[in-house]
This record gives sequence, C-alpha cells and structure tokens, in this order.
Amino acid sequence: MVIGTAFDIMSRVTPPRAAFVDHPVGRTFGPPHDRQRNETVLARALAELPHFTRSGEICDLGCTWSPDGSRAWEDELRVEMLHDR
Amino acid sequence: MAFEYLPVMAQNSAPKPPRVLGAPSKPAWWPVKSPVSQSRIALLSSAALRLATQQPFMPREDLSYRRIHSDPDAGEIIIDHHSGIGRVPKQDAEIVFPRTALASLVAGKVVGSLSPFHFSFMGGVRQHKKIENELAPAIAKELKQCEVDLALLVSY
Repeated sequence: MVIGTAFDIMSRVTPPRAAFVDHPVGRTFGPPHDRQRNETVLARALAELPHFTRSGEICDLGCTWSPDGSRAWEDELRVEMLHDR
Repeated sequence: MAFEYLPVMAQNSAPKPPRVLGAPSKPAWWPVKSPVSQSRIALLSSAALRLATQQPFMPREDLSYRRIHSDPDAGEIIIDHHSGIGRVPKQDAEIVFPRTALASLVAGKVVGSLSPFHFSFMGGVRQHKKIENELAPAIAKELKQCEVDLALLVSY
C-alpha cells in the first residue's frame, strides 16, 4: 500500500492500494516531533487496508493539516516547492 | 479539494518539459491474507533515506537502495533526496518514515511484528523500466527474505 499526500499523482500512477493524507508533501505523518500524530495517521492507514477491493483504489484517510481546516498551507507549500528552481 | 502537485512540478521544471509519470506495465494486486494484527510489516520510502553510517545516495538517478534496521534506536536517519521540500522532514525523518510509530503499534499489538529491515531508494528517478525490472524486484526479494506480509510505501 502507498501512503501519500499527492492525490493527483497517486491517481495517475495507480498503486495497488493507496491511502491519501491531505497534508503538505514531506509531512505525511504530521509536523516534526509529533509522535502521537505520526501514530494516528499510520493506524488510520492500516485500518483501511482490509477495505480495498481492487487495484488502483485510493482511500482518503480524512486527515486535515490545520486544526481549523484552513488551507493556507497550500500557498506556503507552493513557495517552498519553487524555492530551489 | 486536494492540492494539485502536477502543475507546480511542471512550473518547477520549466522550461524543460514536465516530468513523465510512470505507471506499472500491469496492475499489481495481491490479496491481504492476514489481519494487520498478525502481519509482519516493512516500510518503504522513496526519500533516499539511509543511516548516517551508510553510503550516501548519489543525486538524481541513483538506482540503489538501502536496508535500514527497523529498530527506531538503530541510528540517525539521513535524507539524501534532492527535493526542495526536504527542509521540514530533515528536522524529523519520522514524518516521512514512521519507524517509531510502527514499532509502537507493534508494542500495542495493533500490528503483528516488524520486518527486521525497512528499505529506501531515490524517488523521482526517470528510468522507469529499470525501476520496474531491476530495483523493484531486488527489493521484493529482500521483503520475501524478511518474510514480510505487508509493505507500506511512503511516497516522497
């Protein structure tokens, strides 16, 4: 099973089972040094494993990056990704 | 709506053409035979991770892999991947390689057991055929030797 943050890429490369985490890339299991959140995300992914029925399926784990659901992190991520151009 | 990475990656690679994504030549599917609580699990990472004592990955097109002991106390993890998003995970590799979380789930009997080793390689390599025909089979052989039931690939 693949656990990833890039839904658009996972939908193109069709891993047999994919778990989508709606976090910024490079922070799949939460912010640095948050062991509880690391474990929560991993446990959610493992709990979904028996529910996959066909190759290429993507399961949304229902994780959100900001507690208030804000998507302001997307603008920061764009800047970060383009930083090393 | 999920963040769209492909347009940003295309902007990042311009004026070169956008990266071509490689899908498997045939669908891969293997039934899950045991519950997670009775399964042995290994982590796979495309972040080009290694122990500080291991040989560094070479940039960009390195097709080798590293065997990383699954004990969270086995040593410091280094991220060799060249991606610009590496600044945050380099503060704490566990956010892309949850070695400690997996060991904790084993201790809590949520997961059956740990593979003796996890594995990492360089993501974003453009030699798709070599990945499918050489790198992936080599890692699959390692997983079989470790008697792994479930492999979790954390994409980077």
